[in-house]
Amino acid sequence: MDLEYAIPENLYYDTHDFWIKVNGEEAVIGLSDYGQSNTGDILYLELLQAGETVGRGDKLGSVESGKWVGSLLAPLSGTILESNKDVLVHPRKVNTDAYGDGWMCRIKLRDSVEVKGLLTAQAYRKWIIEQETKEEEIG
Amino acid sequence: MDLYDLGEVSWWESQCYYHALAYLGREGLILCYPSSPYVCLGLHDDLDQEIDLEYCQRQRIPLFRRETGGGVVYLDKGQVFFQLVLRQDNSCLPLRRTRYYEQFLQPAISAYKYFGLPAKLKPPADLNAAGRKCSGNACGDIGKCTAYVGNLLVDFDYTVMSKILKVPGSQFRQYLRQTMQANMTTLKDWVNHSVGYDDLAALLVEGFKRQWGNLEARTLDDELIRKAKEIYVKTSNPEWIALPGRKHTERTIKIAEDILLLERRTGPDSSTAILLHNGKVEQMRFFGKAACFFSRADSLIGCEWHEDLLGRP
Repeated sequence: MDLEYAIPENLYYDTHDFWIKVNGEEAVIGLSDYGQSNTGDILYLELLQAGETVGRGDKLGSVESGKWVGSLLAPLSGTILESNKDVLVHPRKVNTDAYGDGWMCRIKLRDSVEVKGLLTAQAYRKWIIEQETKEEEIG
Repeated sequence: MDLYDLGEVSWWESQCYYHALAYLGREGLILCYPSSPYVCLGLHDDLDQEIDLEYCQRQRIPLFRRETGGGVVYLDKGQVFFQLVLRQDNSCLPLRRTRYYEQFLQPAISAYKYFGLPAKLKPPADLNAAGRKCSGNACGDIGKCTAYVGNLLVDFDYTVMSKILKVPGSQFRQYLRQTMQANMTTLKDWVNHSVGYDDLAALLVEGFKRQWGNLEARTLDDELIRKAKEIYVKTSNPEWIALPGRKHTERTIKIAEDILLLERRTGPDSSTAILLHNGKVEQMRFFGKAACFFSRADSLIGCEWHEDLLGRP
């Protein structure tokens, strides 16, 4: 199956559709192209603020699009170093530039071993294909 | 699928049971209507920006902040609620949650059609009949479930709705009420006899049965009642109600899926109301001193709206 979504090779991913760029003990995270496409036009975004801590799988923020709201669940544990203030004011940037201006948070990692649990671009691509197949079955 | 056909419940129960089901990870369909009026904010609505608190307090209209999307709504016994809670691992639930509205709203469409309203989906989540909104709907991921909530409008109090919203002045409020009346419709506009809850609930049950097979009629159990009360306590907390949310640079009120009413201050004693339809200017009204000098108005009708269209005061 050909995928229409951009999945840069140099990033990690998780099954909540975050991309993660690891740089030593820090990571930058954002919503993947597939994630933003499934979410739809993002109207509002809330993120934890600098200094707050988060565990893997805990609520990192909240997103609203087209009369749906959902939680953003942190792909890694750590302390928020910075939230992207620009994307909070202009949340549509997550849709238009998911891997660039649409980044969400910079995190200081609590446990770098957690990185081993993330997906490579190849594994994430395979996971998306499984999801797309399920979506086609729903119709 | 479990069915809780609750009929009349208190205002807070009409919100708390579906939250309770979702937090308990239990699927179910709830039908009900509230015994008294209240105002319901979406999860990301900004209380201070949206609500005329003084009016609500004076009229003793309680406020609730739900954990689903969409905007502020005034709810009362003129509306019948249908609330469907699905586990997120339910294979019927698409990843793009808004895709499910088409299915979720089918029973409501059938119920309206039974009474002669040509209701159809206006994506993502409105129903409209003859171009006028007849049902507003929302959804949200709550716990490990997703809740879809909607209502059938038997009647709607446009006057109270226009009073609960914070607006710049009485003329703007009057225009808001007129705009809602012109762009919304209810069963009362189409049927010349009264339509009761039981009639509508039966039609909704029939519609949901077509999707889910037999529905198991349930009564409220202790676990559900306990959880709903916990949620009521949490959601009654003034801090929860007053959570900040989406801010607009100009007062913006969404009337329906493609219809917005904006306010632009044009001076210390003047403002302009701009009605947008699909992003284009459909009408403009000038209040205060603006009324005498704005001669360009006619030429702006039909124009694509952008921040600088009117110029700056």
